[in-house]
Amino acid sequence: MGVSGWLLRRAAVRPRVLVVGCPYGTRVRLLAEAEAGRRGWAAARAPAEAGVLVVCGTPGDEMAAAVDHVWDDMPGPRALAELAPDVPESEVAAALDRAVEVLGDERAQDADRPAGMSGARGADRPAGMSGARGADRPAGMSGVAGGDRSAGPPGERTHGGDGHMGAAGGVGMAARGPDRDGLQLDRLHVPLGPVLADWPAGLVVETVMQGDVIQEAVVRVVPPGRPGGVGFWDEPRRRAGGVRREEAGRRAAAARLDSLGRLLGVAGWPAAARDARSLRDRLLAGSSAASVRRDYERFSRRVRRSRVLRWMLRGAGVVDGGPGWMRGDVLDRAYRWLDSAGAALDALDGRTRAGAAGHFDGSTPVAALSLLPGLLAGAELAVGRLVVASLDPDVEQLPAGPAVASE
Amino acid sequence: MSAQVCAVGEAVRLVLGLVVLGWGAAALDAGLGGARRGAGGPLRGAGGAGWWEVVRGAAGVPLGEVARLVTQRRRRTLVPDALLVRTGIVALLLAALLAAVVLPVGEAPVLDTSVGIVWFNAMEVCVWGALWLVGWGVNSVYPLIGGYRFLVQGLSYELPHMFALITVALGAGSLRIADVVAAQRELWFVVWMPVAFVVYLISAAAMAFWGPLGQPLGRDVAGGVPAELAGADRLLFTIGRYALLVVVAAAAVPLFLGGGAGPVLAGWAWAAIKTVAVLCVLVLVKHRVPAVRMDRFTEFAWVVLIPLALVQTLVVGIVVLP
Repeated sequence: MGVSGWLLRRAAVRPRVLVVGCPYGTRVRLLAEAEAGRRGWAAARAPAEAGVLVVCGTPGDEMAAAVDHVWDDMPGPRALAELAPDVPESEVAAALDRAVEVLGDERAQDADRPAGMSGARGADRPAGMSGARGADRPAGMSGVAGGDRSAGPPGERTHGGDGHMGAAGGVGMAARGPDRDGLQLDRLHVPLGPVLADWPAGLVVETVMQGDVIQEAVVRVVPPGRPGGVGFWDEPRRRAGGVRREEAGRRAAAARLDSLGRLLGVAGWPAAARDARSLRDRLLAGSSAASVRRDYERFSRRVRRSRVLRWMLRGAGVVDGGPGWMRGDVLDRAYRWLDSAGAALDALDGRTRAGAAGHFDGSTPVAALSLLPGLLAGAELAVGRLVVASLDPDVEQLPAGPAVASE
Repeated sequence: MSAQVCAVGEAVRLVLGLVVLGWGAAALDAGLGGARRGAGGPLRGAGGAGWWEVVRGAAGVPLGEVARLVTQRRRRTLVPDALLVRTGIVALLLAALLAAVVLPVGEAPVLDTSVGIVWFNAMEVCVWGALWLVGWGVNSVYPLIGGYRFLVQGLSYELPHMFALITVALGAGSLRIADVVAAQRELWFVVWMPVAFVVYLISAAAMAFWGPLGQPLGRDVAGGVPAELAGADRLLFTIGRYALLVVVAAAAVPLFLGGGAGPVLAGWAWAAIKTVAVLCVLVLVKHRVPAVRMDRFTEFAWVVLIPLALVQTLVVGIVVLP
């Protein structure tokens, strides 16, 4: 017991953390990500990796179901931290401290083993609890970072010519259909989101995939747990009594850096994504504008200089019409974010008087959401994820809040 | 008798080397990731921690990871093909080890075969199977996509990679790795086969699915192939992955960098130093270069890398013409 207890505590020092953002939970999500980054906790890519699940904001029914699902997919030792949207900053650190304690607590973790399996080596979870390809789950409940579940609507589960092929584990087999290249491939129904690494909070894209190609995509938004919130990025502008320039500038730059962090993460450049997040966190924590600006210049230069990034993002997800900020390809949008974050920082640093212009006009998430299905259909998943990350719809800015589903 | 003792000694040295270098690569990776955080880095909390603190913190990261995965419970997806998954996980580590036995750590390799280069190549291709088995077997979408990605990656890097190896064999006039090392006594192959060396480095990253070529394990697919693995399964997978990284880096030494040749120090020390240098390059590249997607890279590999590698082979062929 002594050794395993020691190992457990040693492992709890630096767990992998899965931070789940709910609509209107952006403020705590940023605090939690900053705190986790300060502690050197790596972000989990999937529930199977994660030791700590941090739920930021108030989840609605659908979001809560997705969170439950992720929790079930975490093998343990595991700890849960739930942060209300308005908790004070100190509470975030305290919640993570508690999570570390729970993770290192041998008795608590033993009690957390799946029933009937306590003490068993390699405890298998009860069948049907973990997600798998073909897992049968009511639509809208799934869409979890584990990447799984695909049972289609009942009508689609029968096979092209040969009827039912039987069910494995009580789950219907995936149906086949001709794909982009004329092959007969399984049609998997894979929801992307609402919980997925580097994914915009509150967004769900229901996809039909063959191989790694998205054949069809339906975009929707999960309803918030508490209606009538104010979007975090939008808040200084909406606040009564006018805008405080300093605060608005910091938010504007941090918003672009937050989006860039996700985009660079999806583009497979974790080092640059980390830089973007660390700059974002320093801005929001009130570090001196001059020092942030200096480091930002270096970051921005590095991203712009990357030939491989240009090679990979050029020509992906081309948008012709729509608001100016979303025109062009993924690379154009990324460079535009770099420009506007730089402009906002310049203004903060007193170099220019221009305010931070941007996409905070309320209509853009709608435009982005309506464009997404067309951009995603026929794209490979990797490109599709880049497209989503480069549009990065902020559902908190939808005119009537995220309750408005969009197709 | 003494040959056997020697082989056992070499094998022990080989495994020790793999463990130490794999650990070092993981620590360097963690240290670079942390050091980017600026002031002090996240490794020892806030406050200006010195470089020694950063080094100590980074060195502890792989140990912490082992502790984490040893204590983590295993996980089972719905109707997985457990046999295939376990086979794949074990095959990954096994392929790395078997590829390593033909590499001379000191004087002679554990297995001194006359077809060492072919053996190395064959073992490395087994990794395709290993990754595909894991990705397919767990019965989950993202690992499956990771498996697809690795197969496409294999089709992209393997031909240039093989031409790079053929160039080396042509230059040495032998497929035996000891002969390749001997042939570099006057001039390292990297000097007059630079293209083959660069192609080898790219394919080294690709076959160890590392850094820019690590998208089979991409963040955009929730970690890809091992996304559903936890506990002992993931630990073994991770160990196999780092072993493979060290082996592909170590193979560059006898193939291009003159093996254990060097002044003053013993052969094994020079081999280790050169391996560390190649490993450092691979780790640095991971932090400096974003991911490469196969829908763009495949074209580059076939249209640019293969012709370049062929020209290199031709040049070497003309030079060694008797």
